[in-house]
Amino acid sequence: MADLKIGVLSCSGEECLGGTISRLATRKMLEELRPGQTVTLCLPLYLAGGEEERFFAKAFPVITVDGCSKCCAKRATEKYSGKVSDIVDVSEILGNDVALDKTVSTKDMTSQHMEMVDKVAKVICEKFDKIAENK
Amino acid sequence: MSKSYALLPCNGLDKCAGCISREVAIKVCENSDSEIICPVLYRVADARYNKIAQEKPLIVIDGCNTRCASRLASEKSLKIAQKINISDEAKANNIELHNSLKLNDEDFKLVNIIADNLLKEEEKVISSLDTDFPEKFEYEIYKKDKFIFRVPKEGFYFNENDCYVYVVGNRARIGVTDYVQQSLSDIMFFTPPAVGSEIEQFGEAGTIESGKAVFEVVSPVSGTVVAVNEKLLNSPELINENPYEKGWIEEIELSDFESDKELLYDFNKYFEIMKRKVDEFHV
Repeated sequence: MADLKIGVLSCSGEECLGGTISRLATRKMLEELRPGQTVTLCLPLYLAGGEEERFFAKAFPVITVDGCSKCCAKRATEKYSGKVSDIVDVSEILGNDVALDKTVSTKDMTSQHMEMVDKVAKVICEKFDKIAENK
Repeated sequence: MSKSYALLPCNGLDKCAGCISREVAIKVCENSDSEIICPVLYRVADARYNKIAQEKPLIVIDGCNTRCASRLASEKSLKIAQKINISDEAKANNIELHNSLKLNDEDFKLVNIIADNLLKEEEKVISSLDTDFPEKFEYEIYKKDKFIFRVPKEGFYFNENDCYVYVVGNRARIGVTDYVQQSLSDIMFFTPPAVGSEIEQFGEAGTIESGKAVFEVVSPVSGTVVAVNEKLLNSPELINENPYEKGWIEEIELSDFESDKELLYDFNKYFEIMKRKVDEFHV
């Protein structure tokens, strides 16, 4: 399990606050919660045709993290690399009102925003561990 | 003047530069009537953004040289008003980009510099000043196969990089010659220099890009950029139609034309050089 790599792929997040939170929660996985095991893929590069990114998403488990129910990350990943291992939808965790609120700069994130990030990151972490257990 | 751009950042998530591209777009939007195009949603559902991308001047913001945002714009056949590369901007502003995805004060300083320039630029972009520039010129023509190369007979000076200058009083228009536009073929993008910027003789004065290559416009003169040909932002093909007339690139307030002229060619000299280039290199 120590060598297992799992991709956590966030939506780009320009449409709404949910996107900002999905980016930050993904970063939290990468830097704090499961460093070394989490690999994030740059979704715009993946879509632009990055071969390494597409190979990774085909060969390794991937959790997509979407800011809202448009599920861009999930749709895009499944289009090029097949079914994803699990999905996280911020709007399901925090509700549509929060997820669809206006996007904010990372420098303007409040403590309330950061609590939301923690909450989403916790869900990603649970799904991450579940995949890891089954490998 | 209400600023109104369509902003397409790469939004890269795995590099600091990508995160900066996002912050630049957000800051410009917060301070203007601009709108952000989410690169991922645009790929998944392009109807959402097609109208914005076509109606507003499009600013493409790439984090790194993978240029994902530019590639997306190209795939969607969008006309780009300006391209920004965060990595290049960082170098130009002596800011070192790091590996962390968490942006620091220096990163936000870069965000502010780029966003502020964008917000200022729109106010400054003007089509032309009061100076009268002729609309038509007489040309000497050199033909090679199906290609026609025009060189205006009077009033123009040229540098070895196939860029011209036409002077009226203390102002000048600069642009590229027929040799450049024929070599590039269909020009798709024009990236102007910032209005108000100082340019040295032989310094970069914007870029034009076709499917074949990117061409750096090398200024034949030194001075201050006082206007850019804003029609080229939406119709860069005007350079192909006639680079000396409607396809001029920018206007410069001259700082020392008498000295600059010493390193330029007049019509007779350039025409000979151009013919030789066409015979030797042009395919």
